[in-house]
Amino acid sequence: MTIQPQENPGVRLQGVNKGYRIGNEQVTIFDDLDLTIPEGDFVAVMGPSGSGKSTLLNMIGGIDRPDSGQITCGFSKLNTMSEGAMGRWRASNVGYVFQFYNLMPMLSAAQNVELPLLLTKLNARQRKERVETVLKLVGLGNRAKHLPSELSGGQMQRVGIARALAVDPKILLCDEPTGDLDRKSADEILEMLRVLNKEFGKTIVMVTHDDSACRFAKRTLRLDKGKFVESAPITAQAA
Amino acid sequence: MNTFKLIRLNMARKRIRSVLLVLSIAIAFFIYALLASFEHGFKGADSTSERLVVSAKAGAAQLLPISSLDRIAQLPEVATVTYRSNFRATFNDPKNFMGANAVDPSSYAAYFEGQYNFGEGQIAALETQRDGLLVGAAIAAREGWKVGDRIVLNSPFERKLDGTRNWQFQIAGIFEGTGPAIDTNFVIMRYDYFNLGRQNNQDTVANFGILPASGVSADQVIAAVDARFANSAHETQTRTENDFMKAFVEQFADVTTIVQLVVGAAFVTILMIVANTMFFAIRERTLEIGVLKVLGFSGGYIMRAVLAETLWIFAIGVTLGMGAAYGAGIVLSGPLSTIVPSLTLTPSIIVNATLLALVFSLLTGGLPAINAMRIPTTAALKGA
Ligand SMILES: Nc1ncnc2c1ncn2[C@@H]1O[C@H](COP(=O)(O)OP(=O)(O)OP(=O)(O)O)[C@@H](O)[C@H]1O
Ligand SMILES: [Mg+2]
Repeated sequence: MTIQPQENPGVRLQGVNKGYRIGNEQVTIFDDLDLTIPEGDFVAVMGPSGSGKSTLLNMIGGIDRPDSGQITCGFSKLNTMSEGAMGRWRASNVGYVFQFYNLMPMLSAAQNVELPLLLTKLNARQRKERVETVLKLVGLGNRAKHLPSELSGGQMQRVGIARALAVDPKILLCDEPTGDLDRKSADEILEMLRVLNKEFGKTIVMVTHDDSACRFAKRTLRLDKGKFVESAPITAQAA
Repeated sequence: MNTFKLIRLNMARKRIRSVLLVLSIAIAFFIYALLASFEHGFKGADSTSERLVVSAKAGAAQLLPISSLDRIAQLPEVATVTYRSNFRATFNDPKNFMGANAVDPSSYAAYFEGQYNFGEGQIAALETQRDGLLVGAAIAAREGWKVGDRIVLNSPFERKLDGTRNWQFQIAGIFEGTGPAIDTNFVIMRYDYFNLGRQNNQDTVANFGILPASGVSADQVIAAVDARFANSAHETQTRTENDFMKAFVEQFADVTTIVQLVVGAAFVTILMIVANTMFFAIRERTLEIGVLKVLGFSGGYIMRAVLAETLWIFAIGVTLGMGAAYGAGIVLSGPLSTIVPSLTLTPSIIVNATLLALVFSLLTGGLPAINAMRIPTTAALKGA
């Protein structure tokens, strides 16, 4: 995979080390990990439980830090940023999608989507328009006023995706986005991610345990014992 | 939507819990405000006047001879001296009592200048009318008395020469306090009328009142007066009026201590309940705090939101509590007027309550707020 120097470099991890000290024992999760995810890529990350998939996603999103090594997203060097700077960077550059949706229970679908927009310069009217646009995009234009408790799992995940899309970030990080859904809802969500990647140019990193989810991604990385075993890109993307 | 609405929605999530929190805070501040205004009314306003009170060294309940008057008046440190006897009088009903002061009208008026409004000619009227009586506005309103009315007051302790306890008066004036917290639940009569009429303790007074000569400090007057009577048969203790009132009240019960204990216990209890509740309320939201951080909200923002929520809960609680205390003060001031002259929420009580609420909300919200700010995002996402 070659990248033109003037292009946006996408996501890049170089010599990343990460481990935890539990008692006297040092547990290594990543040892000198290198990874490049070019802009516009859609990567599925698979691997056994505890292999570090969530940790990887969190480091790319600037939620977790490597012990050493470099992480760059676009032109931002995450490992040199302060906590606050990383938060501000994340607010406008990264959309996060969680396995269990993590919607605010007291907020309606629209309010949940509006939440990240409170950190932007948009005024109330502009925020409202943006919320309507993204809710429509995920097919929930008619559920704006519903509370999460009044939505199905698939619908909640659509709200989760709408919230991630609200600030129009370049990168979407999804941690088992279909892990809590039945096959049909899962496929709808995955198809939506595929469209977001293909039509809207979002760079997507998606952790999944679901082999068939990989069909929606451009390529799959298998994480095992702190190393990647890259599968060949699956050419037959689901229609 | 905005941050403020977010905070409000958070509070509305566990409605019963929020309501109980607000109510417990309201009750604490209700007790505080009511007892503070009770204490305040009981002690009288802390006056900044220069008034000094001379009473017997053996105790404020002991009497002093009127003959000490001239010796006090001769001291160069003294500008004005007045004297009074006081007793409890009742009207019609033995439970309907009021303070009764037997005084020298003109020096008394000079001594209390600025504290009571003796309207046009009241003092002069009292001076020309031996059985005249000046009535505090609070009593006049309660009893419906008017100037010129003839009334009979009873005294359980002051028997007249003729053996009865009935003292006849004609009302010569109705005076008011210069502020709402000033007690007017008493009457003023002439000392000579009272003194010549009474069977016991003739030619004694309860205490003398002094205004210092200009340029003389209270301490100098206190030293001069007490030195003048040192080693005499009637040694004195001279104090500022505030000190005197405090000592007077504390003879019966240490009201201040009781109030502080009750209020303190209520506050500590409430503080613990609120702190505990806030702590767990915020901990329940650990995952949500993690999500907010993922969305890019800063630790500072989250801390402020948590603090704002506690502040808001306290603000509502204090407002309700103080409002209830204000209402209770109005309702109770009638029935309690013979015990405590006024139950007004003074500005200082309101300011104190506001400051207390501020401090308490910072104390109770502070720990959860700091926890919320500091918890690492990854840990929060695991709901730790
Ligand atoms: N705070 C922590 N302290 C110690 N070890 C941790 C901590 N967080 C994660 N780990 C360890 O890091 C490893 C990777 O965790 P991670 O959550 O990234 O796994 P995962 O691949 O996402 O697993 P799963 O598929 O179950 O979600 C695990 O072995 C875990 O025990
Ligand atoms: Mg995981």
